[in-house]
Amino acid sequence: MSTALAGSRWIKADLRARKGQALLTVLAVAGIVAALITAATLLEDGTNPWRSLSAQTDGAHVWLYTKDSPQVALGGIDGVTQTAGPYRSAPVTVAQDGKKEPAALRAMPATPPAVAHPLVAEGRWLDPSRPDGVVVERSFADSLGIGIGAPFTIIALSGERHTLYVRGIAHTAEQGFYPEWTPGLAYVLPVMLDRIEPMLGRSEWVTGLRLADPEASQVVSQRVVVMLEDRLQRVYTWREVRSAMELDNRLLGTLLGLFGVVGLVAAALALANAAGGRVLGQLRDLATLKSMGFTRGQIALLLLVEHGALGLLGVAIGALAGWGVMAAVLGASSVAPIPVLAIIVGTALVVLAAVGVPALRGGRTPPIPDVPTGPPRGHLSRLARLALLVRLPPALVLGTRDAFTRRVPAFLTAFGLAVPMMMITIGLGVWATLDNFLAHPEQVGQHAALYVKPDKLEPVVAERLAGQDRDVAEVYPGTDVNALAPGEARSVRVRAIGSSTRPYPFPVVEGRMYARQGEAVAGQGLLDLLGVKIGDRVRLTVGGTPLIVRVVGRTVEPEQDGEVLSVGLDSLAAKDSVPPEYYALALKPGADPAEVRGRLLAGSGEGLDVQAAVNPADRLSIIRIVIVALIAVLALIGLANLLTASALGLRDHAFDLAVLKAMGLTPRQVMATLVTGTGLLVVLGVGVGAAAGVSVVTGLIDLQGHTSGVGAGIGRAPSPLTLTVAVLVAVGAALAVALIPARRAARAQVPVATR
Amino acid sequence: MSAVVKTVNLVKIYQDGALPVPAVRGVDLQVEPGEFVAVMGPSGSGKSTLIHMLGGLDARTSGEIWLDGQRVDTLSESAWALLRRKKIGFVFQFFNLVANMTVGDNVELPALLAGASPKVARERRESLLAALNLTDRAGAAPAQLSGGEQQRVALARALANEPSLLLADEPTGNLDSRNTRDVLRLLSDVHKQGQTIVMVTHDARVASLADRLVSLFDGEIVDDGRIARRRTRTAGEVIDLR
Ligand SMILES: Nc1ncnc2c1ncn2[C@@H]1O[C@H](COP(=O)(O)OP(=O)(O)OP(=O)(O)O)[C@@H](O)[C@H]1O
Ligand SMILES: [Mg+2]
Repeated sequence: MSTALAGSRWIKADLRARKGQALLTVLAVAGIVAALITAATLLEDGTNPWRSLSAQTDGAHVWLYTKDSPQVALGGIDGVTQTAGPYRSAPVTVAQDGKKEPAALRAMPATPPAVAHPLVAEGRWLDPSRPDGVVVERSFADSLGIGIGAPFTIIALSGERHTLYVRGIAHTAEQGFYPEWTPGLAYVLPVMLDRIEPMLGRSEWVTGLRLADPEASQVVSQRVVVMLEDRLQRVYTWREVRSAMELDNRLLGTLLGLFGVVGLVAAALALANAAGGRVLGQLRDLATLKSMGFTRGQIALLLLVEHGALGLLGVAIGALAGWGVMAAVLGASSVAPIPVLAIIVGTALVVLAAVGVPALRGGRTPPIPDVPTGPPRGHLSRLARLALLVRLPPALVLGTRDAFTRRVPAFLTAFGLAVPMMMITIGLGVWATLDNFLAHPEQVGQHAALYVKPDKLEPVVAERLAGQDRDVAEVYPGTDVNALAPGEARSVRVRAIGSSTRPYPFPVVEGRMYARQGEAVAGQGLLDLLGVKIGDRVRLTVGGTPLIVRVVGRTVEPEQDGEVLSVGLDSLAAKDSVPPEYYALALKPGADPAEVRGRLLAGSGEGLDVQAAVNPADRLSIIRIVIVALIAVLALIGLANLLTASALGLRDHAFDLAVLKAMGLTPRQVMATLVTGTGLLVVLGVGVGAAAGVSVVTGLIDLQGHTSGVGAGIGRAPSPLTLTVAVLVAVGAALAVALIPARRAARAQVPVATR
Repeated sequence: MSAVVKTVNLVKIYQDGALPVPAVRGVDLQVEPGEFVAVMGPSGSGKSTLIHMLGGLDARTSGEIWLDGQRVDTLSESAWALLRRKKIGFVFQFFNLVANMTVGDNVELPALLAGASPKVARERRESLLAALNLTDRAGAAPAQLSGGEQQRVALARALANEPSLLLADEPTGNLDSRNTRDVLRLLSDVHKQGQTIVMVTHDARVASLADRLVSLFDGEIVDDGRIARRRTRTAGEVIDLR
């Protein structure tokens, strides 16, 4: 009790004496913990909206699209408990503020079904007394920017316009979010759909199957393929919906997780370094405490409590912040308690281990405070001798000598700066990769900047109009179709564009481009899904027609998780490829897509539907915010290390300052000596960190690209200029920070007998 | 009444690499309650080593140490620490105040450690600082004090746990004559109140304040003599007059 009281006095006094460093420690640890919790939550299933949406809507597990109302007893398949639909669905275009978005208009009854009933979030469900009402899927409504009561103009395939009114906005678990998942979804009453699209031949029937065991979806969808044969258009399961919903979360989570884990190592190092440096600086005080009657264990405990408490406070703040952010963004229920607890316990243990070693060492201090505790001295390091040889000024020589007199702290300082710098370089690499997406869209499969659909015009007219524009370099006709991969019992996207002899310039990163009919290139996701390698043959069916192609290359494929097969239009059966669905326009260098779009719209009298390609970097722009935040946290860690190093350097010099001055060094030279000592370590750490970062960054991004299906070949290292600026800023900031205490020490009047 | 501290054939041999360095070679010393013993000797004669062993800061190589009738040389490091809290006060040549704590807290700390309640510790601190004429410096940081003031604080700190033995290693070694006089007056004051003191010094005039002078040479006691009471008083007066 008495010891606790006396000890707490000491801890309080010590913390008061180093407020800045203590605050930095807390903030750095808090930042890391917050990043880890955010990462875990994003990676954890709980954040994936699919789970709760499926539960709330009693969602179906398998969805299938047929040309006509299925005549077989799908409900009789083993494992199917209930069915939703079949509902009729017609393709339409939604015209909103000059934009045209593809949508599927679904006929649904006024009484919501038991299975896969959309969950109304705003407004109400369809009502027979208001037949012009429409219920729009949430993400589609958000993307269109419409609310309850807003007019909803649709253009049917016939070109006829109809204006409906938004009556409700609803969640559904049957498809992913718009625009990652197209077309958008809107529900109307059957009578309304009959009026908008009287032609049954232009619509599809959608059926959902709810299974007793969701894991059986693969088997069930295989049964469906066999039973429906060529009447089946496409089929997908809840797994595709779920992974479509998690796309961005996973990427962000991985990024945060990587930074968090490495940052934790860096933070632990910084903590150990700070605690160790502080203990080294306090050996005399600790000895004095021992001479007063503190035991070895009590001193160790004292130090552990003091330095550990800072770390634990950081953990607590970080946990609160991380949880708070996630709860605010995703809702409180989506933060899974187990991983968060595991992170809290884990980081707390790391913190205690990091400060435990210096604490134990502090406890072992001999209790005789008069034994000098200065640095081991007397030898010039090899580096310092070198410095002397090349006739550096004396201050630099002395500083060079000091940099390495204490080996362990010197290593911890350099390493403690190298790790954050490495992560900062990686962050800059991610940034550069995003920039590269924007600067060179053709390297991510976006050679064409505009997509033109004939809409009201004849395809031939559309092609001619597009080709005549002065800024259009090339026009590639194309069609996207869904194909069934028989073994997989699910649909994949087949993109037929250009011709086999005049192919669309896909960014082929492995193998080669297709050169004749029957050859194809594919994204990493498709190769992984079908388990094929370059050179293998792939057999798919497109609307009942077999499509057999040899995969001759891999492209960077940012769409559909990379599960896209690209072929020339001539590889597709004529029924699917004539006329083409759209024309992809490659523009001349320097042309402004918006300008060309405006011209095309005007020139065709609004008869064309012209869409700009969405760059994947635009969708990932939140990553930039995350990178900035992470760089801030990493800079904090680096700063904490630096403060430790310069405090230690100063302490080692407290005894020498008078001597140095007596030797005739000016205050400026004394300052230079002190700054050189830390500066050398800074330069070393920052240099090594940046080099390590550059050497791993492309590999890391490509690895992420590979696992996400986009495929390797997208990673970019930060440009030499960016890197140079980053290194200079880091070194400059570090030197500036080291300069302040050095200046103060050099100016101070030092009594000759300081000890 | 038994001796406050007693050593029997006390030996300390440092190991300097492979070379054994005998610092203390068979010291028999007995200090009675209320005695003020000065230990003198040339540099390197083992004075500091001896006084450190008496306070348990350094482990003896062989021999016995008895404190208040209890054998203590066999104690573990932490048992020594617990013993120091109650029975021993240390004053060092370089003051060794805890730099981050105020003067007041420096004085209060040993009292708290000895088990005094915060209120009692506070009272002791006030009375000690008042006796040392430092009341108005209680809130200052040690670095803001002069050497003499720091040593007075160190003395107050050493007395805060009401030790049965006050050990001082060259308490005036780092002070000018004015400050030396102040500190010595304090030492003799507490001695008059019955405090047992063992003090190492280089300075014969400082040593003359003591009851008894022990001379060390090469780690052995070469002279152990009582200083006449009268002389002590005179010496005290002389110092007072300065
Ligand atoms: N930690 C140690 N390791 C090795 N030798 C030591 C150590 N401490 C003291 N010595 C040696 O023991 C001998 C006695 O040292 P001690 O410090 O006791 O002398 P002293 O009488 O206090 O001298 P001074 O008057 O200079 O303070 C010296 O020869 C010294 O070199
Ligand atoms: Mg000595």
